[in-house]
Amino acid sequence: MPEPTGVIHDIGYQRYTGPRLGRRHVFGALYVHGLRTAFGLGRSAKAKIFPWLVVGIVLVVAAGVTAVRSQTGQAVMTYARFVDTMSWLVIFFVAVVAPELVSRDLRSGVLPLYFSRPLPRGDYALAKLGALVTALWLLLGAPQLVMFLGAAFTTKDGLHGVWTELGDVLPSLLYAALWALVFASVGLLIASLTSKRAFAAGGIVAAFLMTAPIVGVLSIMPSRTVNELAMLASPSFLLHAVGLWAFGDKLEPGAAADQMIGDFGPVYVGAAVLLVAGCVALLLLRYRKVAAR
Amino acid sequence: MSTVTWITARGLFGRRRFLLLLPLPALLLVLAVTSRSLGVDPSQWGPPVLVGLGLAVVLPVVALIVGTGVLGAEIDDGTVVHILTKPLPRWQIVLPKLAVAAGVTAATVAVPLYVAGVLAHSVRLGLALAAASALGALAYSALFLALSLVTRRPVLLGLVYVLIWEGLLGRFVDGTKVLSIQQWVIALADRMAPTDLLSTTVSVPVAAVLTALVSVGFTVLAVDRLRSFSVAGETS
Repeated sequence: MPEPTGVIHDIGYQRYTGPRLGRRHVFGALYVHGLRTAFGLGRSAKAKIFPWLVVGIVLVVAAGVTAVRSQTGQAVMTYARFVDTMSWLVIFFVAVVAPELVSRDLRSGVLPLYFSRPLPRGDYALAKLGALVTALWLLLGAPQLVMFLGAAFTTKDGLHGVWTELGDVLPSLLYAALWALVFASVGLLIASLTSKRAFAAGGIVAAFLMTAPIVGVLSIMPSRTVNELAMLASPSFLLHAVGLWAFGDKLEPGAAADQMIGDFGPVYVGAAVLLVAGCVALLLLRYRKVAAR
Repeated sequence: MSTVTWITARGLFGRRRFLLLLPLPALLLVLAVTSRSLGVDPSQWGPPVLVGLGLAVVLPVVALIVGTGVLGAEIDDGTVVHILTKPLPRWQIVLPKLAVAAGVTAATVAVPLYVAGVLAHSVRLGLALAAASALGALAYSALFLALSLVTRRPVLLGLVYVLIWEGLLGRFVDGTKVLSIQQWVIALADRMAPTDLLSTTVSVPVAAVLTALVSVGFTVLAVDRLRSFSVAGETS
């Protein structure tokens, strides 16, 4: 029997002995990566086209509004109204970004790799959700900042005028955050159901667009209560109703707000909270199931 | 029926997700029936249901999902090579696929629109809406089929057209309505059954000519693009 000739060489492999970053860092890394993905940063030029198209349009509109205001001295639209006007662009942005965030991972089957790290199932979904919420808030907040700066530098009332503007823009930034929260949770939930980006995008748009005409029909029904509760039927109108309740005549001139929602303002706020909570819960459930597969 | 038609139809109907298309037309029906049975004035519920939901949302969205799906799905998973390597002229691939896409879209949209039109006004309006939406389905399908060959992100580009061009600009800038399939469909339907429920600024001859032009033009473009088609991986 010949002697074994194989030799094991020590080529200097070493164990990792540095600090092991925990759950918080994994979460943070996923969040930052998601936020960069949303705007196509660190990716090819093709991935930047659609997000930056939306950002460009929104900023151009804001610049136009600011320019008109500084020339004529009259505000074309209030900050909160600006958010409402951009709703179709927000839908498009969600349809672009949400599938990019979750559907790609489903399609390329990398979820087991993620979950082999010390990363709880829920954290993955929440980090993605946080990234999308932040991206949407930036999308809606940046143009408001442009409008605010334009108004602050051209105001004729000195510091007092700037203070009034600040009082207008801060609640509206909160309103934008609510928009971001609702659109992100609904959009991400739909996108997480399919691994095809194209189909996810279509589904998100269909879900937001098909619900809007329901509001139109409900608001002409013969019952006044139904009319005032009509805006519950669609996410974007639901937010509009919350805005009407919170801002009143800053969103719709005159007493239109009272006619449209009656005394149901708190109901709308509750519905918005429920919608977000429900979608997040379903999203977490969805990832528990995906991870188990 | 050619084999291409057969496998395209099977690719569409064979998946469970095709059922996700059904809520859109079903919602149209439910809204029309509810409004009618509650005795709301048709001049009030007609425009939001027929135009706002039917022609502005259901028709383009269904056409987008189906139109980019008939060829786009095969390009995505790479199985389009199997068809391309068969000794078939390219038009024999594009035309059956276009026929399936337009047919499925027309069937899903025209039937609920016919019912809604009958409930809103008359059988004539129902027939007019069904016919006009079938023509619109053909134009949209040709557009989206060509898009899926011209770009790697057909759905997003289609959404740009539907949401930003037809939806956002069409509402604020009147001039863009001349180049909007949605407005052509409305013009054609209004011509076939004049009512006060439908209104548009586009003239009927313009609409008819442009609908035909878009349908034929984008089909020719699709055939031409497929002639020099290069298979690539998923976009980054």
